[in-house]
Amino acid sequence: MKAFLLYQQQEWVNTGRYFDHKSIVQDLGLNTLFMAAAKDMEKEDGKVKLVQEADMFIAETMKQVMTVPLTTEEEISYRQDILKDCLEDEALICELYELSAKTLQKWDKLGRRVSSTGGDRSSARNLVTEIHLLQLFVDSLGCLKEILENHTFHSEGFAGLKKRLEEEFSAGLENNLRQILNDVAFYANEKEHKDNISGRRVNKPRIVMGCGIGDGLKPDGFTLEELATEMRWHRDPNGTIGRMQDYWSSLTTDSVSVQKDISLSQSADYMEQQVVQYVLSCCTPFNMAFNSFFDQLHFQAAYYRGAVNLKHYMERFHLCSCFPTVGAQDELCFRELQEFVMAVEQRVSPVGNTCDIEKKMLLIVTGANQGGKSTFLRSIGIAQIMMQCGLQVAAQEYRSGIYPSFFTHFTRREDSEMNSGRLDEELSRMSRIIDNLGKDSLVLLNESFASTTEKEGSVIAYDIIRAMNEAGVKVLTVTHLLSFAQRMYGEMAQKEGGKAEFFCAERLENGKRTFKMIQHAPELTSFGLELYDDIIGKN
Amino acid sequence: MEFTSILDLKENPDRNHPRTAFFQDLNLNRVIDRICQEWEEDVSSFYYYFPVDKVGEDYRRAVYSDVKQVEVYDVLRSFVERMRARQEAFEQKQKVNSQLVRLQKMVWHIAEVKHYCDALVILDRELSGFSLKSMGMREFQKYLKKYLAAEEFQQLAKTVCDIQERLDAVHLILTYENGRINVAAGTAQGGYDSFLKNCFPGVSRQFSSPFGVSENLSDLEAEIMKLVQKQNPELFHAVADFAKKHREYAGETLLRFASEIKYYLSFYCFERKMQESGYVFSTPDVAEDEEMYARGLYDLALACVNMQEQKTTVPNDMEYRGGECFFVLTGPNQGGKTTFARSLGQLVYFVKMGLDVPAAAANVHYFSRILTHFSVEESVETGRGKLKEELVRLSPMMEASPKNAFVVINELFTTAANYDARIMGKRVLEHFTARECRGIYVTHLKELAQEGEGIVSLRAMLDESGKQNFRIERSAAVESANAINQVSKHRLTYEQLKERLG
Repeated sequence: MKAFLLYQQQEWVNTGRYFDHKSIVQDLGLNTLFMAAAKDMEKEDGKVKLVQEADMFIAETMKQVMTVPLTTEEEISYRQDILKDCLEDEALICELYELSAKTLQKWDKLGRRVSSTGGDRSSARNLVTEIHLLQLFVDSLGCLKEILENHTFHSEGFAGLKKRLEEEFSAGLENNLRQILNDVAFYANEKEHKDNISGRRVNKPRIVMGCGIGDGLKPDGFTLEELATEMRWHRDPNGTIGRMQDYWSSLTTDSVSVQKDISLSQSADYMEQQVVQYVLSCCTPFNMAFNSFFDQLHFQAAYYRGAVNLKHYMERFHLCSCFPTVGAQDELCFRELQEFVMAVEQRVSPVGNTCDIEKKMLLIVTGANQGGKSTFLRSIGIAQIMMQCGLQVAAQEYRSGIYPSFFTHFTRREDSEMNSGRLDEELSRMSRIIDNLGKDSLVLLNESFASTTEKEGSVIAYDIIRAMNEAGVKVLTVTHLLSFAQRMYGEMAQKEGGKAEFFCAERLENGKRTFKMIQHAPELTSFGLELYDDIIGKN
Repeated sequence: MEFTSILDLKENPDRNHPRTAFFQDLNLNRVIDRICQEWEEDVSSFYYYFPVDKVGEDYRRAVYSDVKQVEVYDVLRSFVERMRARQEAFEQKQKVNSQLVRLQKMVWHIAEVKHYCDALVILDRELSGFSLKSMGMREFQKYLKKYLAAEEFQQLAKTVCDIQERLDAVHLILTYENGRINVAAGTAQGGYDSFLKNCFPGVSRQFSSPFGVSENLSDLEAEIMKLVQKQNPELFHAVADFAKKHREYAGETLLRFASEIKYYLSFYCFERKMQESGYVFSTPDVAEDEEMYARGLYDLALACVNMQEQKTTVPNDMEYRGGECFFVLTGPNQGGKTTFARSLGQLVYFVKMGLDVPAAAANVHYFSRILTHFSVEESVETGRGKLKEELVRLSPMMEASPKNAFVVINELFTTAANYDARIMGKRVLEHFTARECRGIYVTHLKELAQEGEGIVSLRAMLDESGKQNFRIERSAAVESANAINQVSKHRLTYEQLKERLG
């Protein structure tokens, strides 16, 4: 049985990560989002009343799922459709998540971790556990069916889950399993507290078997005729009534009393155990079929649970939200895109940016420090990652290509000093990226090659970025390397069909910064000079 | 003369001799282990002694060519399986120990005799469909027919079948309820089994005995069986009667055949498996008046290893032309010299055993025995110690060497000074050639390849890039290009580095 809530034809396998997912998470600050997704909000009259403690399983799940890109539009819309159902009826996903979590919890209590690492499967104790486990599966699947029947949904994902469940856990199968559980009940319930005193009704088995004589007089060729659990009055075999009954039976029928001595009663116990084990072993395919199902359901439901929580955050900070759409590889269009991580961290609604870039494979953003360039680049990176795992993004509209081969190359604070060792490290990171570029690559460069002189850095950047561009790699770069930017502008922006776009941080006439990015030729501006003007004055 | 053994025409004095050193030197013990892997222990012992003479070798070769027909093989194989079942019943009979031990032994005895009778009757019936050509198989067939036709066997078979049928016809229904198991005659339908099958279609679980798998009866089983015995007095009387009358029943010669035929079966089974992986076997010619040669000869022990590791084994040709009797093989290290020498020794071994050889085609003369001398792998012993040890092992081999032996010598005197080693090597060669022996001498001394009559120089070859290609060819010995070898061994030439870094 498959959950198939993350992929149409595939369960979660935890492979296919972004090549350098650790850098991506660090550079874009995605850990903040993972934690936000893990926190449930209680609302009253539309206002946030209480933020629950983080569910670390959800955080871990988000981290895993968000760092594995989807590769086609079809895959993305498959998840988006499921997410739409979840947003429309949040109770649905909550109930699914809770059910799978509880099932796994009970399973753990039954000793799942212990039994999976070995141990004698046939021991009486384990057999009882197996019965309880079967009961747990049957009950949980029954609940799952109920949940899916009580909610409405439109997505292929949920509809498929419901259909598969109805097929693989049909009403007929459910009835049969409940019958079997009834028949072996004597084993599960009586053995647990064997030291009963007489005078109460207990579960007793009735077993009928056929056999012949095999090699060396050994009874052989067994068939199982009947198996049932019956309620009987507990009677002490050594009591008066017990002995009389036993004596009477031995006179009238060809039968053996298993209570006569310890060896016989042990054999009888063993026989009961073997019969139960046989019956349960027949149920193994059912157990196997659903063995990994609850883990998958738990994981996959956790993802949508987290997605719903992220939506709550967007609402709380009054961010726009939309389901992104897939465009061409040289397309990047969005309206009012906001930097989601910053919003969560600083509890604000950041400035939204709009851009329409078509038929361009290179975006160069220049401008003053502290002007919002990095925020702009990050907001695109975050939106791209969220889009590529089926989430909503913080914008009114977002349209872009799909880039499973996605890299970030951000200058980290600690390595921004001028130092040949730093440059070496930067270049080696770059070289690893080059080694691993694939089809449909997108590279985000943030102040790369800043660890050397402007002149050298510009040459390096020019060569590398041009080479990547020519190889069909899309590059978005924020840079203060002005000669590099101007050289690119001179070569590409001027001529017809040039594949580059140039943005700059907007400044109003009065010199005030708006933190908005606008289309603009790269120009010599320096925050330092502005600062000087501000403080010393223009005279 | 009446048939006695499918392996030997007359009793073989070597049967219980200790294993000679050449099995280890030629890696034959590994091959034999592989051949006997899935067979009982008694099989491998057959591989450790030769037939007494050439007639004995031909006797086996003829039997093997009969066994090699797939249909005959299958018939013999299932015969062996049935006899194995008999053996198991026999062993079980010795082991039982329960409340009903006497009765249990009797029932096991019936199973044992039944397997025996079935195995022989079926073998006779199935073999009669084939025209067997070998003296060994034909004599056996004759013997078997006579044995089966005798009144004694007829009586035995009839009685045992009858009792077994009656035992099989007993069907019981056990009802466990309220602390008692009720035993009644009757045939069950398997109602709950069907219910389970319907619940989980496609799953086939067998409900095995809920009383445990031990061959002994538990006390509970014994109690149940006592009731069965009470319910079927006549049947169990017949069982006891049979056991008393037919305590000893088996023919010695037939039991021996059942054991010895596995020699041929195990080899054929092995040969077929190797063939499936692309290794060639052939039936050797043994014409004394033609040249001795082999084409596509390979080291079977190496092939067994390579097969598992999915590597190929390089085959080689060899031929002793008129008057030639000893190969002197030189060439680079790791070039396949030892492997080639082994394959030659193995060739002679399998011919002597009357079996097929690991080569595409071969003609091999008769040799009285195989003598080998392999240097112990480069140990840390002092030079003198090792040389002495080599000579000590060599001396009895030279003293006892009869005429017409096949000799394989590998890297003798490696620790002696070159000059000494040359003289000693030359003497050894002369010793063996004077006694009409043939063989191969692997050495790093190129001078040896130039000495004496009847000596052929072979060399392990390199390909154009100076890499070992494991081909052995007739060629004058040359000084080896040691320096290049060293570099190439470490894969440090320019091309190799390009390849590694590419």
